[in-house]
Amino acid sequence: MSVLQQLNSGTMYLICGVIVAFVALVSGVFLIRAWRAGIALGMDKARMKRAMTASATFSVLPSVGILLGVIALSGSLGIPWPWLRLSVIGALHYETQVAQAAAEQLGLQLSGEAMTAGGFSTIALLMSVCIMWGMILMTVFGKRYLARLSGKPKPSAEKKGPGFADAAMTAMFVGMVSAYIGSYIGGFVSGNGLFLFRGSWTPLAVAAVAALAMAGFTWLTEKKHMEWLEGFSIAGSMLLGMLTAVLIGG
Amino acid sequence: MANINKKESDFYQDYLRSTHRLGRLVSVITLILLVGAPFAIGAYLGAMPDLGAAARGFLAVGLVWTVSSVAEFLIYTPMLGAGGSYLAFITGNLINMKIPCAMTAREMVGAKTGTAENEVISTLSIATSSLVTILVLAVGVLLLTPLQPVLQSPVLRPAFDQVVPALFGALAYRYYRKDVTLALIPLAAMSALFILLPSLASSTSILIIPSGAIAIGLSYLKFRKTQQEARV
Repeated sequence: MSVLQQLNSGTMYLICGVIVAFVALVSGVFLIRAWRAGIALGMDKARMKRAMTASATFSVLPSVGILLGVIALSGSLGIPWPWLRLSVIGALHYETQVAQAAAEQLGLQLSGEAMTAGGFSTIALLMSVCIMWGMILMTVFGKRYLARLSGKPKPSAEKKGPGFADAAMTAMFVGMVSAYIGSYIGGFVSGNGLFLFRGSWTPLAVAAVAALAMAGFTWLTEKKHMEWLEGFSIAGSMLLGMLTAVLIGG
Repeated sequence: MANINKKESDFYQDYLRSTHRLGRLVSVITLILLVGAPFAIGAYLGAMPDLGAAARGFLAVGLVWTVSSVAEFLIYTPMLGAGGSYLAFITGNLINMKIPCAMTAREMVGAKTGTAENEVISTLSIATSSLVTILVLAVGVLLLTPLQPVLQSPVLRPAFDQVVPALFGALAYRYYRKDVTLALIPLAAMSALFILLPSLASSTSILIIPSGAIAIGLSYLKFRKTQQEARV
């Protein structure tokens, strides 16, 4: 049996499946606890359902993209391990980068043919270790950090109007979006030579179409009172943006 | 949501305490499972991990991700609250899915940062998102063999290569429209940086920190100005 065949064996599915099932269980427990807490705190059930529906619809499309990541990595690491990594804790851009770096340290190529048993277990360990810090920080410092930031809830807090925290969060997102959009602009202008304007313009076109689509969704939601569209606005905008990439051929 | 009374406030404090207890417990179990899995697989394959190579690999790429993890912890934890943060760090895919998902849900119901409502909505949103991802991936893996030719077809591949630009394009409209002048300066600064140093494209996630700092700084100046004007 080749290493790749071993990596796709029932034992591998069992090891990875147990962890995925555990995390699914944890998500279910947190979901039920939050729902019950919302009801106990007098929150409107309909609003909570709307938030969940929007989250579910928003997540379907990126999940399909993540599934593609599983497929992309399955040729070198088998199916079960990428399935575990991308279901739990990981992110495609991170997993691919770390797997490649670990393979380089071992003098291997990230391919099914070149994979060895020792190489795989080392790559798997590095993938696990490199991205566990968020979980560790949250476990060790999360409670104190949140307590320091928010303090105890004040019954009259809602009457005081918006504080800086909300503006800061919006600003943080503006910063995050600007970093990525800036990278697409930089990639187009200097990606294939400084100021040559010969880099890929596909990410910019995709982002522009997605933004236009979002403007359309927002107009329909706010001006035409089609509030039900709101839950589909991001996923729909992304889909239209991604369709652009197909039309212009990547 | 109406202002919370004393009884609800006590309940909320108990809820937060138990959330932290549960979150810590499941995080530790998940860590043990994730770090233990390569050794279990090594035992099955008959070849344990090479710890020296793993250490060298960590020095090469792990430190970058450690810094990124610290930044993610500092930035996203206040947005997500306790339950949402534990779940988000366990289930991953923060930037591309969990954060925008929670923010969308939060905006939809008008929840404010640091409130009980935000805590509940973030947790509901991230738990739902995680379950959908787990379900889609589980079904996808089951159907992988017949699906593979369709999903990997040359026609669809460019679309899935562009998931992240599509996401940030949509989010750009959503956030930029709130304050165009606030958006212009970080966008101009980041564009100039990537134009002059295009190789930084592979470190975009790290550059969220200075870009965010610029935006937060500008936002703070505007907030102070608005406050001063309100006092006059």
